[in-house]
Amino acid sequence: MVAADPRLSRFRPLKRILAHDQFDSGTHGWCELIGNYNGKGDLATVDDHMRDFRPPQLSGCNFFDIGTHGAMSGTYALKLATRPIAGHTAVGIRRLTMSGRGLVQIEAYFTFKAEATTGDHGVDSFGGVEWDGNLHPSEAQFGAFTVATDICGDQGLRYHTVARYQNTDLDNRLSRRWMYPAVPEPTPREHVQGKVKLEYGADFTAPDPDDWHVFGAPQELCYNEVPTKVNWHYLRWRIDTAKRRNVELQVNDRVMDMSEVPVPPYAESYGSLENLLNFYFSVRTHAPVRNFLFLDSVLISVDW
Amino acid sequence: MRQSMTAVLERDTTFDGEFATEPYEVAWATEARWFVQILALDHAVGLRLRTQISPDGITWCDYDDAEHVAAGVGVTSWPVREFGHWLRVRGSVDPGEGTVTARIYLAVKS
Repeated sequence: MVAADPRLSRFRPLKRILAHDQFDSGTHGWCELIGNYNGKGDLATVDDHMRDFRPPQLSGCNFFDIGTHGAMSGTYALKLATRPIAGHTAVGIRRLTMSGRGLVQIEAYFTFKAEATTGDHGVDSFGGVEWDGNLHPSEAQFGAFTVATDICGDQGLRYHTVARYQNTDLDNRLSRRWMYPAVPEPTPREHVQGKVKLEYGADFTAPDPDDWHVFGAPQELCYNEVPTKVNWHYLRWRIDTAKRRNVELQVNDRVMDMSEVPVPPYAESYGSLENLLNFYFSVRTHAPVRNFLFLDSVLISVDW
Repeated sequence: MRQSMTAVLERDTTFDGEFATEPYEVAWATEARWFVQILALDHAVGLRLRTQISPDGITWCDYDDAEHVAAGVGVTSWPVREFGHWLRVRGSVDPGEGTVTARIYLAVKS
């Protein structure tokens, strides 16, 4: 059945499909992430670095030069868009729970772009990239995108698995490498306990750049020259919730062994999260330019 | 069944002077409605707001001649149709030397 259906045959799912999201039919539960707030619903109690992750958009990939580009599977893609503030992050999250343990896989067709800039807002040189008719400075204005999980079970043991494509470093130089954080994400409870206080624009996944480490080899993706051409990339990421380990990440023709990439758990247990299985995509700009992550479609499957 | 979405474009944001919300794509929708909820004011009466539309999310013009006034703590709302592919609101604090803390919702429906 998978091979006969072009909507599914572009994926390589495990035996049980939990979710198949094409964004011509809505957001399928991918929504904005926000930090936790107090019992009075006072959003001023939300952590500054987790209060503005922006609502996802159903985008026709509309651009100033050609109008509607469209998605891979129809007209609309899910778009995560940052503000034009260096360090700002947009996050779309999908919330499930686990009815078993074992392999979990998320696949997606995605693309990433910096916002087109026109007139006096544009530049012909940025981050060491000069416009030469082929390369475009826009490519150096895209920071990073991340796919990650938030998982909890077995009496409150909580952990994240994380894979980030860092297109440029924090100095806007092309780095094009895959990274993981060696520490778990700071949580609102840690803020309430006085252990951490992060500012607006802090990297919520892991705020200290020194906590990010490279895995695999550098990989050049298909930005395709200018900010208004969209080429869809394939991503397949497999983890193992029985072992609480990463397994592998495939992006286009590259398969990276992630089995040795550490998955640091929180030292303290968390309540209210039994069998939590969240996935998120995020996009972070390192420049004062809006960054976009477009998702054409997403498939989540398991072997349990 | 019709598609619908509520986007919180500004969440408990404290405005001073003039501002505009982030570009938001709504090509799939037929109708939209703004909800502007003022939570607090400091030496201000409220907000003056106009709907704006755009062909590309970069350049903007006013949707119509209507100025919407949100005065005092509470919710102000107005509908929009035939808006093309992008929506935002531009606004200013009234009077200009004060601040207003507000939430801005955009409710869209196919």
